[in-house]
Amino acid sequence: MKTPRKPGGKVANSLVAVSSAAVMAVYSAGYVRTRSAAAQMEGQSQERRRPVVPVAPVAIAPVVPVAELKAEAPQAEAAVAGPTPVPVAKKDEMLVAKARVPESSAVVTPVPEPVEAAPSPVPVPVVEKKPEPAPPPPPPPPAAPVWKDGTYTGWGTSRHGDIQAQVVIEGGRIASATIAQCLTRYSCSVIEKLPPQVAQRQSPEVDYVSGATQSTNAFYYGVVEALNKAK
Amino acid sequence: MGTLVSIHVVPGEADSAALEAAVDRAFRWFHVIETCCTRFDARSELRQLCAHAGRAVQVSPMLFEAVRFAVLVAEETDGAFDPTVGHRMEERGFNREYHTGQILSAPVSQDAGATFRDVELDPAGHTITLRRALMLDLGAVAKGLAVDTAAKELEPFVNFAIDAGGDLYLGGANEHGMPWSVGVRHPRRDRELIDWLRVSNQAVCTSGDYEKDAPHILDPRNGAAAASVASATVVAPGALLADALATAAFVLGPAEGIRLLERMGVQGLMITPSLERFETEGLCHAA
Repeated sequence: MKTPRKPGGKVANSLVAVSSAAVMAVYSAGYVRTRSAAAQMEGQSQERRRPVVPVAPVAIAPVVPVAELKAEAPQAEAAVAGPTPVPVAKKDEMLVAKARVPESSAVVTPVPEPVEAAPSPVPVPVVEKKPEPAPPPPPPPPAAPVWKDGTYTGWGTSRHGDIQAQVVIEGGRIASATIAQCLTRYSCSVIEKLPPQVAQRQSPEVDYVSGATQSTNAFYYGVVEALNKAK
Repeated sequence: MGTLVSIHVVPGEADSAALEAAVDRAFRWFHVIETCCTRFDARSELRQLCAHAGRAVQVSPMLFEAVRFAVLVAEETDGAFDPTVGHRMEERGFNREYHTGQILSAPVSQDAGATFRDVELDPAGHTITLRRALMLDLGAVAKGLAVDTAAKELEPFVNFAIDAGGDLYLGGANEHGMPWSVGVRHPRRDRELIDWLRVSNQAVCTSGDYEKDAPHILDPRNGAAAASVASATVVAPGALLADALATAAFVLGPAEGIRLLERMGVQGLMITPSLERFETEGLCHAA
């Protein structure tokens, strides 16, 4: 596949075409690789991340340590994601379902609990791989009231520091969410208005919001962790 | 990316095992592409490439396509978008390895005046040659590439949404059978949305000056922080395109930015620091 590289003066939509060609190229090349890597790893349990070592100075691909491609036992944290989602609790999903893809750590991508019959909305978190495989977790609790009443805290991390979120559950619903500790490089006043949204957004306004932030993410991730404890 | 990713598939008739497998693969793409293209990990393929300036380096399809697309956008925008801005980003403090917190140093100091024109791609051999010492930053394309590739995995399920830290791809329709409603974050008021859009089978990406504690979008042409735009939102057929064009439009400023988007045949909304709005004709507002 050859990409046109005429400088300037290109027809309007060529970037559109080139971008989808790029995605196709990656998809078709990588799909085989991710699949076969996953297959190879069947049965080999917890191999640690290997650094990328260039085979020869001039040939640095392939990049992804196969070990990382292995999917791991899904359930544990995955349970957070899913108020085994009743398709109503839309905004909850938005807050709760998010999970973090750290910069470079060994990350696994658990699949959701199989959903009975028709698949429900599937928010699936990415969880960090633990040093030891987690013990087989109990099956996720049935949908209904998802959270136990109480006060819970959780940490969220971003490149710019960590935020501890505190979530209060009353009557199985999020009564409030606040920033308990702010260890970011910038002032948490940047995101001070976020916490009320968590409770507020139990009723959805929009499906999604474009333009989230690192600090927002750290806070949300803290909320995710706190809610995990409220299960 | 260091970002949160969520995937939401609207219930359909799909076989749940197939759905699980596809969602699993979709998530894996984020990790695969991130591992390859990050500037924040000394072992990433990207940094390995940048350590070998002057030689033709054979790279993975992920890195090749990400760099090729970034260079193409650079050509289209006459350098207002330039993936060789990595060095300047590092000078400004965006240089810590995410996990260890250690300061990353570029493998070699960047030649003064190095630009995207010093990046040579050979599609036949899948090699990249950096003609001068330079540090690539693929922040504006890698996440979009991951979103689009993940969307490819989910295509068979038609109605789905991918949210990668506010960079979105919305396939088909939401649970009510309507095009997805997407709020555009207000660049100055955290709790508020500045606009509402309706989209289907499109990506929505926003570059905002509120994203980090320091201005993180630099004008590659002079190294200064781009300051005439508070946020640039692009609606395009894919996130790779939307993300890169949002960054380019942000640098170009509102008037020129909108012209770029119109020339590219995509939609967009730009907000200035004084909250003046600029948008392309035909932007699909939600009621």
